[in-house]
Amino acid sequence: MSDDLLTRAAHDAVELALRKGAKEAAGGAYRAREVEVQWRDGKLERISEATTRGLGLELYVDGRYSSVSTSDLRPEAVQRFVADAVATTRAIAPDPFRALPDPALYRGQEKVDLDLVDPGYGELDAGARRRIAQELEEAARSVEGGGAILSVTTGFGDSLTESVRVHSNGFEGHRRSTDFGMSAQVSVKDPDGRRPEDWDSATGHHFRPLPPPAEVGRAAARRALGRVGSRKGESALLTMVVENRSAGRLLGQLLGPLAAASLQQKRSYLEGKLGQKVTSALLDLADDPVVPRGMGSRLFDSEGIAARRFPLFEAGVLRSYYVDNYYGRKLGMAPTTRGMSNLAWKLGDKGRDALLADVKEGIFVTGFLGGNSNATTGDFSVGVQGFRIRGGQLAEPVGEMNVSGNHLELWPRLVAVGGDPYPYSAARTPTLAFEGVQFAGV
Amino acid sequence: MSSKSDPIGRRRFMQMTGGTLLAASAGDALLGCATSAPRPGGTAEGVGYFARFGVTEAMIAETLGAALSRGGDYADVYFQHRVSNDLALEDGAVNRAFATVELGVGVRVVKGDQTGYGYTEDLSVEAMKACAQTAAAVADGPSNAAPQRFHVGGRLPQRYPLRLRWEEIRPEQKLPLLAGVNEKVFGADPRVKKVNVHFRDESGAVLVADSQGRIVEDLQPMTLLYVSCLAEQGGRREQGGYNVAGRAGFEFYSDDRVARVVREAVARTTILFEAASPPAGEMPVVLAAGSSGILLHEAIGHGMEADFNRKNVSIYADKIGKPVARPFVNIVDDATNEGARGAINVDDEGNDAGTTNLVVNGVLATYLHDSISARHYGVAPTGNGRRQGYQFAPMPRMRATYMLPGPHKKEEIIASVKRGIYCENFTNGQVHIGAGDFTFYVKNGRMIEDGKLTRPIKDVNIIGNGPKVLEKIDMVSDDLQIDEGGWTCGKDGQSIPVSQGLPTVRVSALTVGGRGKA
Repeated sequence: MSDDLLTRAAHDAVELALRKGAKEAAGGAYRAREVEVQWRDGKLERISEATTRGLGLELYVDGRYSSVSTSDLRPEAVQRFVADAVATTRAIAPDPFRALPDPALYRGQEKVDLDLVDPGYGELDAGARRRIAQELEEAARSVEGGGAILSVTTGFGDSLTESVRVHSNGFEGHRRSTDFGMSAQVSVKDPDGRRPEDWDSATGHHFRPLPPPAEVGRAAARRALGRVGSRKGESALLTMVVENRSAGRLLGQLLGPLAAASLQQKRSYLEGKLGQKVTSALLDLADDPVVPRGMGSRLFDSEGIAARRFPLFEAGVLRSYYVDNYYGRKLGMAPTTRGMSNLAWKLGDKGRDALLADVKEGIFVTGFLGGNSNATTGDFSVGVQGFRIRGGQLAEPVGEMNVSGNHLELWPRLVAVGGDPYPYSAARTPTLAFEGVQFAGV
Repeated sequence: MSSKSDPIGRRRFMQMTGGTLLAASAGDALLGCATSAPRPGGTAEGVGYFARFGVTEAMIAETLGAALSRGGDYADVYFQHRVSNDLALEDGAVNRAFATVELGVGVRVVKGDQTGYGYTEDLSVEAMKACAQTAAAVADGPSNAAPQRFHVGGRLPQRYPLRLRWEEIRPEQKLPLLAGVNEKVFGADPRVKKVNVHFRDESGAVLVADSQGRIVEDLQPMTLLYVSCLAEQGGRREQGGYNVAGRAGFEFYSDDRVARVVREAVARTTILFEAASPPAGEMPVVLAAGSSGILLHEAIGHGMEADFNRKNVSIYADKIGKPVARPFVNIVDDATNEGARGAINVDDEGNDAGTTNLVVNGVLATYLHDSISARHYGVAPTGNGRRQGYQFAPMPRMRATYMLPGPHKKEEIIASVKRGIYCENFTNGQVHIGAGDFTFYVKNGRMIEDGKLTRPIKDVNIIGNGPKVLEKIDMVSDDLQIDEGGWTCGKDGQSIPVSQGLPTVRVSALTVGGRGKA
């Protein structure tokens, strides 16, 4: 399906919905080609390759709303599917807040080339993918102490995703992106009988800027070997330094309750905090959708609303919520966007090691395990592993521990923001340090 | 769309199905010719349900021929048609509906323990053969022969008999269920300020045919009702809820069950106003009968999935035949619980699915196998080869995992604890397969002080190490319950429905991620 065919499919779906009785409709068609190779312990483990497609519709019928999708694109099946969906929509209750966005919100898209498509996409063949996967493993096994490695699983994948979105009140948006990703996961033998594992990975819209596979493979192996001898530490109030790549988990528990749906449903500990200081002054964060090659970049959001940068926190003061069209109408708030794109941080000037030196004593968290956060109250409790920090340096590995608290008490104790954003995620989290965090262990 | 190489997708976790489910429905017209027979009869034509999409045995034979064209040992095709309908109530009205139709086919080729996989939504023979040729590339040798005829095995068991099939239930019949729950939850306690009700039904079928000539179809219904409520008291807010799920038709929603959903949702929310975080540190933990089976899912279930052991990365990789728990500990993974969310008549590779013994009298007995690991270990498959859908190759997965009743009584277990916690309800858990560390998050529970249940606790994560915790299970009650909740298990980016259960159990020490001094 070329872009023309996708465009026609989206328009056809919207027209069909209107013909079957919808007053307004939004339609989306997508197509994705995904290829992945997985490699393990000296040989191919799995290859998978597919071109997948689907169709989605949001229907506004007699003041009522439904959202439907199908991968059964046989013309007669689509006809029946849409007719049935319209009939179902008629059966439910009306909702005065449901309507497509005001077309004024579609206008003013940034004139930026987001550069989400690698022009070299398609040049990698099956052999090249296998060589990358193989190189990841060989590098992992080459590190000092590699004799303790029990198993290495690596992978490389690439994809091309194309989608077209059409609204009956005048929006048409096209999106096309390529993605490349490599990863290595290493399991090692611990003399106590456990088999600790860790991983490393790199992803991007373009292939060439990715780091050499050997770097990723070695990092995964060193991380896994670093887990050997891990013990449970003592329960204590300590400074917690969170590694950049893991900090997204904690940050998500701060940003989730910013959704208008959470506010309107009274399930947000950040309700009523707009304009108030919620975190330490070190947190300065904007949602920035128009970053070239950004992992969360977009010119329009999932409702067709033109994407713009806006502040979330300025010197710790909450400046905006994530307001979508529907809950914005329910709350009487102007829409911002439905969900996070990329985050832009006011970064510190220190890397991990300098931050550890400042902190002197505490725990460096390299991974979270399970746990949860109560979006209504802000209470959280999550499992952690990492390293004890002693004398400003990483000391023995610790695991099977837990941190708990309340986000409204945790974020004011943010004492350092690193200058080292994790490049392979849309959140681009730097290393973060918090004082006085409750750790549970022995 | 992020790359599938992202290791985030490889984590093992479990969670309650949330209120943000995607959608569902399609219609009666699409499914109008479905029959209630669990499988087609006769040996000449093994394609029953999928005949409506133009699928024939000849097409399958041609596809399998292409799949083995480069010397694969074994190949299978997996057709899936799943129609889900969701209705959601918010602010007093069922004001949103969702529908999803999934139709597609996956082709798998196996060479040793290597897998080639391709899938398509286009059920034409040309598209299926193209997928097969892609998957065939995992091997590199002379062609192997594919079957020309297929045989339907013995009759499948029927573990999800339907009285009221979803294809015959109109939206208008479902709406009063949601409205009634909403009204009853509000009516039960004046502190309730917001109620969300989410309802889902699924119907559809899968067909598996393989290069040994086996062909099997299974109709797989599912339903789920999720209630969440928000209550206010003295300026404080708390959220809680309850949910039920099963492989059943509309008859699932008996008056008793609906009343229980309402009662539990309100009780689990309003108790939170009296609850506090427990202390931090190691202490005895008593797990209530039922959903506490999450302990087994994380502490041993994932570690016993044979792929992790075949790859030598599980902490249980060298422990078969060895004692891992007290002699009164028996743990099973069971496909046969009628109507359970984790029940299956047949696995997603066409293998018989029964009851698998993980731990017998305290000794580690059997891994959970799919076809690849069963061949690797030279044992029979255990019917644990499962997949999320046609886009995915199968792998060893749990079904309903639970511990059999033991010799103790709930009362004596609680009375035995001087100071510890009692865990009643859970939201999610996760495990590191190799290190064995696992967690589960407790939403509701109580302190145990001097052998008595005392003040309520809430929102606390518990962390332990699988094999160590099994050794520390020192009391098991006789009150086994299989939980009725809508549990979903995630592994390598695939989510599947599971069940779990436990009798009341005491673990002599676990780390409780609370606040303050122990």
